[in-house]
Amino acid sequence: MLLLVAGVFVLQLMSSAGAIFFLRGQMLDVVRADRVRQVLDVRDDLLATYLQGGRPALAQMIVRQQGSAADPTVFIALTGGPNPLLSNLARAPQLPVAPNPRPVMVHLGPDIPDIEGMAIAGQMSDGERLIVGVMGATERRFNLAFATAAGLTILVAVALALASALLLGLEISRRTFAIAQTAEQFASGNFGARLPESRSGDGFDHLRVQMNRMADRIDTLVSELGAVSVSLAHDLRSPVARLSAAIDTALDRVDEPGAVEALHAARENADGLRRMLDTAIEITRLEGGAVADQRAPIDLAAVVQDMAELYEPLAEQSGVLLHTRLAPATVVADRELLSRAIANLIDNALKYGAHAVLLSTTTGPGWAEIAVSDDGPGIPEQSRNRAMERFVRLDNARTLPGGGLGLTMVKAVARLHGGDLLLSDAVGAGTGMRGLLATLRLPA
Amino acid sequence: MGHTSEREAHSVSARILLVEDDSQIADYIARGLDQEGFVVDRADNGRDGLFMATDSQFDVVVLDRMLPAMDGLTVLKAMRAAEVDTPVLMLSALGSTDDRVSGLTAGADDYLGKPFSFAELLARVQALARRRSGVTRVQDTLLRCDTLELDRLTRAVRRGTRKIVLQPREFRLLEYMMQHQGEVVTRTMLLEAVWDYHFDPGTNVIDVHISRLRRKIDDGEDRVLFHTVRGAGYRLAVD
Repeated sequence: MLLLVAGVFVLQLMSSAGAIFFLRGQMLDVVRADRVRQVLDVRDDLLATYLQGGRPALAQMIVRQQGSAADPTVFIALTGGPNPLLSNLARAPQLPVAPNPRPVMVHLGPDIPDIEGMAIAGQMSDGERLIVGVMGATERRFNLAFATAAGLTILVAVALALASALLLGLEISRRTFAIAQTAEQFASGNFGARLPESRSGDGFDHLRVQMNRMADRIDTLVSELGAVSVSLAHDLRSPVARLSAAIDTALDRVDEPGAVEALHAARENADGLRRMLDTAIEITRLEGGAVADQRAPIDLAAVVQDMAELYEPLAEQSGVLLHTRLAPATVVADRELLSRAIANLIDNALKYGAHAVLLSTTTGPGWAEIAVSDDGPGIPEQSRNRAMERFVRLDNARTLPGGGLGLTMVKAVARLHGGDLLLSDAVGAGTGMRGLLATLRLPA
Repeated sequence: MGHTSEREAHSVSARILLVEDDSQIADYIARGLDQEGFVVDRADNGRDGLFMATDSQFDVVVLDRMLPAMDGLTVLKAMRAAEVDTPVLMLSALGSTDDRVSGLTAGADDYLGKPFSFAELLARVQALARRRSGVTRVQDTLLRCDTLELDRLTRAVRRGTRKIVLQPREFRLLEYMMQHQGEVVTRTMLLEAVWDYHFDPGTNVIDVHISRLRRKIDDGEDRVLFHTVRGAGYRLAVD
């Protein structure tokens, strides 16, 4: 594409150069013909004088011509006789007799460099030779002029082409940027993001219309999927409860240790399933804002401290050191929901972290943050948004227990409080950790 | 259901009033409680429930929040207004904090979000029934279980002659277990009573706290006091 544009540009330059060259040839021909006529006219005048008044009249005319202001570029020489005559010349040029003027070097004086000219030589009846010419390097002057013109043309063309390419590029990138921005919003979960449509009917408008149609379709599918999964979760709760009840009944009737063991395992899994369904429904409630406002001013540091204390024995058992670096930070939040969110983050960090987990709170103008960082393998940047989606479990998490709802829940709690959950690299965040850094940011 | 030893815990069959309109859930609860030795009476709407609760003596009322004719919260308020002080365990499909708060404010003694595991409901019903029968000595300053003693005033804990040093949270955990000795306490009950959180962390957070406390209390002793009740929770008792 870029090559094509460059090729078109070069062709454009070549054609304008060709046009200039053609123009030069045409103009040169006209000017040359003009000068030839001028030379011939002067010669004809001289010859007429000669025919009427003989050599004296001719000589008189040549002398009159000498120094005449009429046309200082015309030069005349009458040579080959006893007293040669020169007008506007220091020495007669060497020129063979010919019917048409020819280029010649004109010598004007000992200190003046020879200049180009054009002259015609004719043989007189008395044996003398009459040379008439005009000075001036027609072709060189023309070449110079046209070279300048061509150079200027190319310069202007290049400048204009660059400017228009730049403007076009800017306009294209401005339009594509707007489209990309909307696509980015959409990708980050704002399924209501749409592009403004105009009726200009150009390619960009077509692109915008098509992208909006695509977004509508995805939006519909996603909300249908959400509705289906929520109603599925609702519908599954009863069978799961009945499953648990059946397992309990069976547990009551058997004594064989192997069967009891298996039933207990089934019971635990049924409980796990029930918890997953509960969480999925809870997340939907949170995302829909369908919760009563239980917010009150609380100290983030105290809440985090409580959760750290709750999880400390579990961390110790998993061989993970749980550090805290807490600064007081008052936020208006639902303690219960916030604690659940923090519990999920700690749980996650303990699951994937290797040896250490750091919990910290920080504040800034208008915000307060809880950061949980670990020294585990982290999450690759391109997978981070997916990690916060419902039921999404990244490849390295498949072997560990959990329903893939933890981070979704945290994000829902953050959003409910007007905040957000951000996942990033712990490296370089000043935590001394090198795994995942999960930051729950709340408005303060 | 898995812990038949509990049947002996309430020698006099406690009477339970179950007010629940969802017949499937009501059957499930009634069957389970019946198997555990409780006598269960049922009502499928709020008005009947209120009438039965005020008319005869029950040890525990299990009251659904959403009921036809009269909702659970109104039934509860009416019961309390009529000076019926039967312990009430409220059930709710809404199940989040806000509902719990309004339920408890209206005079419920405990609150359980649907769906629940039967073990959870059973543990709570048993705790309420016991409180009703006056078995639990909540007000005592000195709690005792076998050779284990906990002084709520001096905060001293000893097992026989051995002094046991506990962290503040461990103290509260043991205090709660001793107040409910002989009863099954679920992880959720512990999380609610000791940490004041009302969610299910899902992992074995509480188990690890218990096993830490258990080591301090039972290690090196002939008789263990901490018992794990599979599928339900824990029980502090001599046997």
